Amino acid sequence: MALSGVEIFKLLPKTNCKKCGQATCLAFAMKLAQRQATLDMCPDVSEESKKVLGDAAAPPIRPLTFGSGDKAVKMGEETVLFRHEKKFVNPCVFAVEVTDTLSETDIASLCEQVLNSEMDRVGQKLRIDSIAISNASNDAGKLEAAAKTVAQKAPGVPVIINTTNPQAAEAAVKIFVGNKPVLYGANAGNMDAMAAVAKASNAILGIVASGLEELSALTEKAKAQGVEDLVIDSGARKAKDILEHNTLIRRAALKKSFKPLGYPTINFVTRECSMTEALVAGISVAKYASIVVLGSIEKWKNLALFTLRQNIYTDPQVPMQVEQKIYNIGDPKPDSPVLITTNFSLTYFIVSGEIESSRVPCRLAVIDAEGLSVLTAWAAGKFSAGKIAAFITESGLDKEISRKELVIPGYVAILSGAIEDKLPDWKIVVGPREANALPTFLKSRA
Amino acid sequence: MAFAAPKESYNGSVYAVTIGTGDKAVTVGGENALQFHSFEGDMPNRPLIAYEIQDVPPEDWPENVKKVFDGVSDCPVKWAKFCQDELKARAIALRLVGTHPDREDRSAEDAAKTVKDVLAAIDVPLIILGSNHAEKDTAVLVAAAEAAKDRNCLIGKAQETNYKTIVAAAMANDHQLIALSELDINLAKQLNILITQMGFDKERIVTDPMSSALGYGLEYSYSVTERIRLAALTQNDQIMQQPILSDIGMYVWKVKETHASESDQPQWGPAEDRGILWEAESATAMLTAGAEMLIMRHPKAVAAVEALIDELA
Amino acid sequence: MLIIGEKLSIIAKRVREAMMNKDKGPIQEIALAQANAGAGMIDANIGPAEDGGEELMQWMVTTIQDVVQLPVCLDTTNFKAIEAGLQVHNNDWGKALINSTSNDPERFPFLELAVKYNCQIIGLTVGKGGLPADAEERCALAAEMMGRAMEYGLPLEDLLLDPLVLQIATCQDHARHVLNSVSMFQSINEPPMKTIVGLSNISNGCPKPLRPILNKYFFILLENAGLSHVIADPKEMAEAAHDRQMVLDVFSGKEIEDKAKMVEIQKTIDVLMGKTLYAHSYLEM
Repeated sequence: MALSGVEIFKLLPKTNCKKCGQATCLAFAMKLAQRQATLDMCPDVSEESKKVLGDAAAPPIRPLTFGSGDKAVKMGEETVLFRHEKKFVNPCVFAVEVTDTLSETDIASLCEQVLNSEMDRVGQKLRIDSIAISNASNDAGKLEAAAKTVAQKAPGVPVIINTTNPQAAEAAVKIFVGNKPVLYGANAGNMDAMAAVAKASNAILGIVASGLEELSALTEKAKAQGVEDLVIDSGARKAKDILEHNTLIRRAALKKSFKPLGYPTINFVTRECSMTEALVAGISVAKYASIVVLGSIEKWKNLALFTLRQNIYTDPQVPMQVEQKIYNIGDPKPDSPVLITTNFSLTYFIVSGEIESSRVPCRLAVIDAEGLSVLTAWAAGKFSAGKIAAFITESGLDKEISRKELVIPGYVAILSGAIEDKLPDWKIVVGPREANALPTFLKSRA
Repeated sequence: MAFAAPKESYNGSVYAVTIGTGDKAVTVGGENALQFHSFEGDMPNRPLIAYEIQDVPPEDWPENVKKVFDGVSDCPVKWAKFCQDELKARAIALRLVGTHPDREDRSAEDAAKTVKDVLAAIDVPLIILGSNHAEKDTAVLVAAAEAAKDRNCLIGKAQETNYKTIVAAAMANDHQLIALSELDINLAKQLNILITQMGFDKERIVTDPMSSALGYGLEYSYSVTERIRLAALTQNDQIMQQPILSDIGMYVWKVKETHASESDQPQWGPAEDRGILWEAESATAMLTAGAEMLIMRHPKAVAAVEALIDELA
Repeated sequence: MLIIGEKLSIIAKRVREAMMNKDKGPIQEIALAQANAGAGMIDANIGPAEDGGEELMQWMVTTIQDVVQLPVCLDTTNFKAIEAGLQVHNNDWGKALINSTSNDPERFPFLELAVKYNCQIIGLTVGKGGLPADAEERCALAAEMMGRAMEYGLPLEDLLLDPLVLQIATCQDHARHVLNSVSMFQSINEPPMKTIVGLSNISNGCPKPLRPILNKYFFILLENAGLSHVIADPKEMAEAAHDRQMVLDVFSGKEIEDKAKMVEIQKTIDVLMGKTLYAHSYLEM
């Protein structure tokens, strides 16, 4: 198990000399624990401490960077089994499989789909992150050709080379030198050769086994050969096995400090039926996969999978926020009601949902309260009369509307006087405390 | 270093709850490990997906799911038979939305008649849901519970604000009960305590911690469900060992992603597949978190999820 | 243990009205009662106080110190109000205490004020990126604040670390994280850092009869872990003193004579430590 900041602190010189760039040894210890600093930044740490820190401070699931440049993705670093304990650290990678039996045109088309897959949701950019090039033909030349097409048509996209043939691997991986690809396909029969190729080309080695015992033995073999950047596949292909193996791997790494399985996982979920594939992918996303390899990336499927990934990987301690602005719900007229609330995304979705179901068109002013809900924001001074007044004034709303009435959430009724003082042309109406009373409230005023 | 599978074994288990009567009765729950973790425990009962029908035509459902039921959704009896006989539903959930005061405001008597008629037409278990208007539901569910006597239905939903009358009706008429709380594990426990303090059997309750559609709060429903399931297994908390219901279809088919046309949102792809997957993926997530019972709408979403359950069993 | 009396808060109706009307009576009555019950400092919570905050804080400080010879804890997010309060604070009976700073850059100026006026300050271990998940994260935030305090020239003994007590009714897991934090905060410096909590937060939202039970037993566990300061109801703290040995005995697995009390203590400890899920009726189970 990784050492805590306090445990690390006990092993440091405690001189606060600042040579590491931090004000105190304590601060440096905390940075080390969060892997925002490295031990070599401290010139005075004792040999004994170095030993202890080296072994025990390593994170249970190896951190890896896959790809390079602005399309690189991080994997590993996970610390918990359930998202409510602490956030899942690195959102899983979605890859689409390109088989080398496809025509160049088809490969190019898939590459284009990957490049066009990016969507924006709640302020985050979501996309298909990677392309897996599979040696379905078993022909080294075809694999290399497919790899060349991908490199050309999807430059910079992190790539997984999928072959069990070390010579084919070597030729294909050359094309992505400097881009930190995954070389997948190392197994019991070809480990030495594949490890050598991975080492020489500085690629991440992807190991596939039949079961977790074999997988553990294989990662040890790779490590002995000096290859430690690994992603692992137990061979599971059915949803049941994916769930079981991903779970056992995560538990082994986190709860048993079992180093041979302390690596990011890769799941192949390709299916004939795209709908089924999407659901199996869903199991993978929720249950610990680091890379999920899909067979197809239709827009409707991507939308659901990106959203699921976003939901699972949201930090439970940090509220998701929507953009501060005036939202038109329905088709509001100049005399339609104006309501105000905070930008906690759940608040926004619930309130706008209730307004929609009331069928009374409204303008919903959403103010940046750092994602806090109404009451919490008020207590923290982030949903104050002054802030509300400033937002309404600067919004230019008064030009669009004929009735200057602002409906405020019932929980902050206490603010109405103060808001009216700061918005002299406006009348403040106190709305209901709970969103589900909005339809009745709005309809009664319509 | 040799690998030893780190299996969990828990102190607690989930109650098995049976709804319906005769050979069409369905039991859910009963497991002693996390859902689908059959490698370390027993999963005696397959999760149940119930088809949602309503007492009034579904005018507010988006076209892509409404059209599936064209020709039957104008009559709850026809609709129920269609789900049972054509779609092979293992259970049906009758949502009495028409009784909501802001909708058709149908009376409790009207609701009772619908319940009677539907029960006469089907053998599979019936879940009877109010319109979620807390006050009106007390009258509606009391009448419905009486009309459904002897059929061991699952009645819901009892909430903190209205549970007393509904619990009494469920007890008097020998039904199972859905207890609804709003994404709050501590209030879910409190509601179970209040219900059982009235003398209602803790093993006749199904917990609804409130579901949310993918992208609209799913992570809250997901985590509260996981936490409830873990409390049942690891803390052996006897008041929190009920099976969990995910009433997911209703939330999914309200959101933009199941309504918007492809022409309005070209980067979202075709609406029909998109809507079906939105429901199926939301359901998949809730199953993974631990829900043993789902209420869904679109047959293709149901089929996809049933196929997944086959693969997970 | 220094007890800071919490009762002069804008959330209480009587106090709020006294503040609005500048009516000294209730303020002084409550301040005196708290001092007599054992408070070593009086908290003056004027809320966000957007309008007239400076005037109000000065009025509160002088009104309180006119009748009790104790320092005041200035409790508001309004920077100018804090400064105004510090300017009129009588330091004869101890340094003033600023409530609070944190790792949120918007709160750094409060730390500067503490240096300028040579007073103490509460440092909440929370930053801009959301709530800390556990004791570890609170420690990391504490380390940053300590570094900043040293940078600004505030002696570390004037920084009181507050691990942020959250409601047990909605954030049950944080009760034990807070307890662990108080222990941890003492290993991160020599001499150990001072620690403080806003105790009543633990029972916010709970049924009224439960509040004293949760407050008192949680306090005893915190004190046992080394807590040095507490913002609480001094009367409740006096009652807690009675229960201390019993709670610590049950906590360490010993039997006590009063069986009914033992059950109450055990159930409460189980809930505070996350062994049993909290529910409002947890004592009836």
